[in-house]
Amino acid sequence: MTDTQQPNPSEMAEVTQARPHRTLLNDAWIRLRRNRLAVAGAIIILIFALGAIFAPLITKYNFAKQDLDSIFLQPSGVHWLGTDELGRDVFARMLYGARTSLAVGIFTQLIVLLIGLPIGAFAGSKGGRVDNLLMRFVDIMYGFPDILLIILLSAVLRGTVFGNMGGGIFVIFLAIGLVAWVNVSRLVRGQILSLKQRDFVTAARAMGGKGTYITMRHLLPNSLGPIIVSITFGVPRAIFTEAALSYIGIGVKPPTPSWGAMIHDGYNVMFTAPHLVIVPAVAIALIMLAFTFLGDGLRDALDPRSRR
Amino acid sequence: MSTLLDVRNLVTRFHTQDGVVKAVNGASFTVAKGETIAIVGESGCGKSVTSLSILRLIAQPQGKIVSGEALLDGTDLLKLSTEEMRKIRGARISMIFQEPMSSLNPVLTIGRQMTEQLELHRHMGQQEALAEAINLLKLVGIPQAERRVKDYPHHFSGGMRQRVMIAMAISCKPQLVIADEPTTAVDVTIQSQLLELIRGITDEMGMSLILITHNLGVVARYARRVYVMYAGTVVEHGPALSVYHHPLHPYTSGLLASVPRLDEPRKGRLAPIEGQPPDMMCPPVGCPFQPRCAYALPKCLTDRPELQEMAPGHFTACWVAFSGETLWQKT
Amino acid sequence: MGKYVIRRLLWMVLVLFVVAFVTFCLMHLVPGGPWDRDKALPQTVVDNLNRKYGLDQPFLIQFKNYIFNAVRGDLGVSYIYQDRSVTSIIMGGFPVSATLGLVAFLIAILVGVPLGIAAAIKQNSFVDYFAVIFATIFASMPNFVLGILLMIIFSVTLHWFPTSGWGSIRQIIMPAFALAALPAAYMARISRASMLDVTRQDYIRTARAKGLTERVVLVRHILRNAMIPVITIAGPELAGLVTGSFIVESLFSVPGIGRLFVQSVSQRDYGLIMGTVLFYAFAIAIINLVVDILYGMIDPRIRYD
Repeated sequence: MTDTQQPNPSEMAEVTQARPHRTLLNDAWIRLRRNRLAVAGAIIILIFALGAIFAPLITKYNFAKQDLDSIFLQPSGVHWLGTDELGRDVFARMLYGARTSLAVGIFTQLIVLLIGLPIGAFAGSKGGRVDNLLMRFVDIMYGFPDILLIILLSAVLRGTVFGNMGGGIFVIFLAIGLVAWVNVSRLVRGQILSLKQRDFVTAARAMGGKGTYITMRHLLPNSLGPIIVSITFGVPRAIFTEAALSYIGIGVKPPTPSWGAMIHDGYNVMFTAPHLVIVPAVAIALIMLAFTFLGDGLRDALDPRSRR
Repeated sequence: MSTLLDVRNLVTRFHTQDGVVKAVNGASFTVAKGETIAIVGESGCGKSVTSLSILRLIAQPQGKIVSGEALLDGTDLLKLSTEEMRKIRGARISMIFQEPMSSLNPVLTIGRQMTEQLELHRHMGQQEALAEAINLLKLVGIPQAERRVKDYPHHFSGGMRQRVMIAMAISCKPQLVIADEPTTAVDVTIQSQLLELIRGITDEMGMSLILITHNLGVVARYARRVYVMYAGTVVEHGPALSVYHHPLHPYTSGLLASVPRLDEPRKGRLAPIEGQPPDMMCPPVGCPFQPRCAYALPKCLTDRPELQEMAPGHFTACWVAFSGETLWQKT
Repeated sequence: MGKYVIRRLLWMVLVLFVVAFVTFCLMHLVPGGPWDRDKALPQTVVDNLNRKYGLDQPFLIQFKNYIFNAVRGDLGVSYIYQDRSVTSIIMGGFPVSATLGLVAFLIAILVGVPLGIAAAIKQNSFVDYFAVIFATIFASMPNFVLGILLMIIFSVTLHWFPTSGWGSIRQIIMPAFALAALPAAYMARISRASMLDVTRQDYIRTARAKGLTERVVLVRHILRNAMIPVITIAGPELAGLVTGSFIVESLFSVPGIGRLFVQSVSQRDYGLIMGTVLFYAFAIAIINLVVDILYGMIDPRIRYD
């Protein structure tokens, strides 16, 4: 940092507060940038995101185009990561698979936020019976084995209008989102309950602030940090769930490319063409690792108390 | 009286992410055998770090004792091996901490936390140690000690826990007890009870006592001599009554003006000391108190005053006091 | 204490009832019936089958019948393996899942906890960096990806272990490690963080001020407190592991209830789906209850009221 040059002693006598003033967010941003792993994670995510967005520009191959004359090709200059059992270009499928994974990660978390945030905030700020009722409901949700519930939900949703939207991807968004919001609502509620006890909220109330105003102006902004962290960790979890569902054959519908489905397809030919499973496996591991790095960095940056 | 502990020019620093905190900057003081002294100052003045430095318990690896000596009966504690130092803790010097709520291990019974020390330093067997623990609890005024020795810390109130801490501190008959703001975290109504208890027991057993506090009123009552610390150094010290009635340093008189006094008629509003304690990452040059001092001279900006004896046994480090000014003095 | 257990059990019954009801509803909403085959069955056969399994009755009656039987331990019959009861199928798969889960749990504990403790004791040392990297990588590695990579390395390349099957120790090693990696990483992480947290506590300073040796401070004062959060997460982890992982079991063709569930979903075996979900919910609730009661023995501050 260049803005903390030591002032010379004579200046120090004049200015007793020599340290530069930083806001909380400013401070968090500086700490995040200093965290090499978090930066590495962000860069990996960025690369995948750019690859997903500009996939048609990066590769000339269509992810679904079969070419039965050139199946099981090894990686080469023509097919960078080889071809699969139907002669499809693995690199193209990997790129388009990133679209599926990132879309699942982002949209499920949007659903999680849309449901979890208002419910958690409502329960936390209202308290009393509303809170009790909502939390009992959340407890029951926790009683479900969640991956099984996701599987069942997606089986049900497949029969609805969402079934064929985007090659079955909307079913995945909804099934994961409808189960995972519970975590965020519980987190938001806990945050708001503990913040309500804090002095600055009491002060705001003493000055005549109304309930909604206090929730919007004081409680939610102050619980933003943990929510951001939770969402960042929720993305890889959703990506993993989609890959797992597609792997067992109940995720997105073929030919929509999905890393999980690629592993499924490559599993049977693992001994002859291991690259068909290695490519998607490494891609999943990388993107999850990247989000974990970023999440860890965000948590350290946003919660000064967790600093070592 | 012969000297028990002689601390000379102690310097302790903390290396943090944001820079080096110069917590203690050349503090010196002595404690005679059986004597009670007090170290007084605002939060952050380095008094707690000073006491932890003597026991070499400052947080590792950030904290570091840079220089100085702490002679206990002539042996420099700062030069002892880790193992030798360990044998002194609890046995020859013990400590009562500020936070009774968090200073006891929540998953061990009170009895266990007392006996482990007795077994270690006084080489007692389990049964003997337990019996002694019960005696000690009785001594510090815990009712039904036989039963309560099996209780966990969360079964005790703050005041009771502090009594347990006192019992633990004196259990191995140390030569010196350091009480670091022992009453700050407990109810006002039992503060004086606890202080009486600490003072009474240490007196009776002939132990020396260092009482660390921010309340000068407490000092006058319990300590024979007092050291006033500011920004990690001693700015004034002398006999308690002399410092109390004739403070020489503007900081000391500021401290006195900021607490209610029962021995004098009320003169008006309590006067807080203006300004903030200095940032210990870049403390001011010259006199550390100068930025907050209403009487500062040009010299105070540039030159650091050293302690000088102004009255018998009464020292201060203040250019204004050296010049004979007594503007801020009461009486 | 007795009251607490009873209240928890009552709550559990309620949760299980709701889980059963919701699952029942969801299952009936799933498009396609249990008799959908590649070749459509004649309508009369379907009607007969529906009558035989009570599927021609109103929804709530079906549910009531199901619950009454479930309470007696009868989870009905599988619609696919028509000669076997769901209970017997689950009881056949559970020991497999539980064995695999227990082995994975032991690996997770034995690797994760000591690693986390060692990392905290030697903070910022090589061990610490290794532990942090280990924990980060395996905490974000999906178990089936790890399973695939293990297969590629140890089966495809080195030919040390078979890729699938169940019965021998050589067949249990890879799925157990694939399952154990994530909880091991989690345990390492929690143990390390908890150790560092406890080390900073005031009572540890008190213990040092008493002149205790570092070994006693570590074993008696730090470890006992630091292990409380570790045990807290160990319970749910155990519950999750012994009830099986549908994905790892499918990957390694382990005949546990996880794989069973996957099969029952893809074959729309209502009876088996229902039974598996209920069994999972029941097993997890029971294990969590037992674990919660055990906490009280470790942490005296916990009171059951």
